Amino acid sequence: MHPILVRGRLPIYLAAWGPIAGLWVALSAAAGRGWREALGLALPLAVLYAFACLGSWWLCRALPLDWAHSLRITAAHALAGATTSAAWLAVGRLWSRVLAATLGDPAVVSRYLGDLPLLFAVGALLFVLVSSVHYLLISFETSRAAERRALEMEVHAREARLRALTAQVNPHFLFNSLNSVSALTGSDPAAARRMCLLLADFLRSTLRLGGQEEISLDDELALADAFLGVERVRFGTRLAVERNVSEDSRECRVPPLILQPLVENAIVHGIAGLVDGGTLRITAQRIADRVEIAVENPRDPGGRRTPGPGFGLSTLRERLAARFGSEARLEVREAPDAFAVTLRLPARSGHGP
Amino acid sequence: MDPERGTLRVMVVDDEALARDLLREHLSAHPDVRIVALCANGFEAVRAATETKPDLLLLDIQMPKLDGFEVLELLGGDVPVIFVTAYDEHALRAFEVHAVDYLLKPVAPERLAEALARARSRLALGDRAPLRSLRDLVAATRSGGRFLERILVRDASRVHVLPVDTVDHIEARDDCIAVRAGGQTHLKPQTLAEIEALLDPARFVRIHRSYILNVDRLAKIELYAKDSRVAILKDGTKLPVSRAGYARLRELL
Repeated sequence: MHPILVRGRLPIYLAAWGPIAGLWVALSAAAGRGWREALGLALPLAVLYAFACLGSWWLCRALPLDWAHSLRITAAHALAGATTSAAWLAVGRLWSRVLAATLGDPAVVSRYLGDLPLLFAVGALLFVLVSSVHYLLISFETSRAAERRALEMEVHAREARLRALTAQVNPHFLFNSLNSVSALTGSDPAAARRMCLLLADFLRSTLRLGGQEEISLDDELALADAFLGVERVRFGTRLAVERNVSEDSRECRVPPLILQPLVENAIVHGIAGLVDGGTLRITAQRIADRVEIAVENPRDPGGRRTPGPGFGLSTLRERLAARFGSEARLEVREAPDAFAVTLRLPARSGHGP
Repeated sequence: MDPERGTLRVMVVDDEALARDLLREHLSAHPDVRIVALCANGFEAVRAATETKPDLLLLDIQMPKLDGFEVLELLGGDVPVIFVTAYDEHALRAFEVHAVDYLLKPVAPERLAEALARARSRLALGDRAPLRSLRDLVAATRSGGRFLERILVRDASRVHVLPVDTVDHIEARDDCIAVRAGGQTHLKPQTLAEIEALLDPARFVRIHRSYILNVDRLAKIELYAKDSRVAILKDGTKLPVSRAGYARLRELL
């Protein structure tokens, strides 16, 4: 939509043309022409041209400001200004005849023709002036939209982080773990104590790391390990873990709690559904400027499937998108008997980007 | 409950060894309770329950192969059950299948004692027969109001899990339905109307009083006589199509 034709801007725009029309009338009158001639010619033609110049907006939109093409853009506007001005003056000539007939003074036309070179130049200039106003409005609106987008993204990121923090400890995991502790208390008090320590270790690192902006992949792996330590007590021999982590990936900075939800999903939706359990595979490697983290698990091909990508995955995807934009990828590979998620993130080591 | 000896024969089903251990330990405090089977998954549970006929099931919900509700569906209506789970969101469904109780993990021995007392009084009343209808049971296996994803059938102590995509058609036969899937026919004690209500109507159509068809399997429909048509499936099977059935099919296709 045309930025001047909406939201009550048109009156302001037309008012801005008032002084121009006034100047024209005053100059004509000063040149000794009658007030009726001066007003009759200047006012309608000024209004007509005010509207004609609005057309430059489409040209501005088609040619966004760009230093590399400044010459081309200037030339295009100059050409459009000259053409519009010429067309306007052609209409003005017809109007001067009408005015001459009305006032009964044929000399109006010739006086008008005498002004033509000046009017043409001023017309072309005014067109270019309106073009620049349009460019101003466009850049103003673009920057406002960008500001809004940035704000939205920030809110989104904050929400995602909050949700991630609240979802990081699955209550079922806690209840099941406590049930295991309760079981061990009777049969194997030493193991019960170990389980309490593992659980405390996991909860403490979750709380500590979850609040940070980014942590090293090594810390994230340790957190996943603490989680797996607890789950291994619950699942016993049903849960096997295989890790393949390259040394150069450990230093990479990643947002906290990106691996843990994947590991938890792999157990809840994969290994826990297998009578004999299976092996969960975690791999991390650095490839050029990216770090690739993958979690793979077997699953029961005849098992029930929860439809959709699942809450954990979509939250993770949102968090990555809010933080890295299109720089991060979350890829899911599904087979009837296996499930794998791969994260590809920009590899940043040390502190700061 | 065996009234003469006064013992309560209990079966424990949980996929976690520690959770089974805990229940066994808690149950050992009750001298009238005898554990007749400890099962680690739904298949084992169905087999063991068929063989040992327990008085009471202590049943986990999230398990490999079959979940607790599916185990209950396969065992039919009349075994009293106490659900034992870390998830409180299944309580409503448990109520619908008339569970004796619903225990949350970690399990408190006092709550278990309460649940056992409730089970004993229910058994003493001989209140076994109208515990629950099959319709409630099958309906409860669908979580969150979704359509049935798989049909469970049992012959003797063997369980077949038939994902609905593998089902060609279902036929009404006396008190049973005959489910044709993967080249085999499985009988299940259920009515055609009951199963029809649970299946996705965009994929399964009642084409006749006695037949439900998986529309993916349909090859063509031929006019057989005036007002009577026959559906020819991709594998060549012919099924009768009633007038109302034809209207439903046309609406869908």
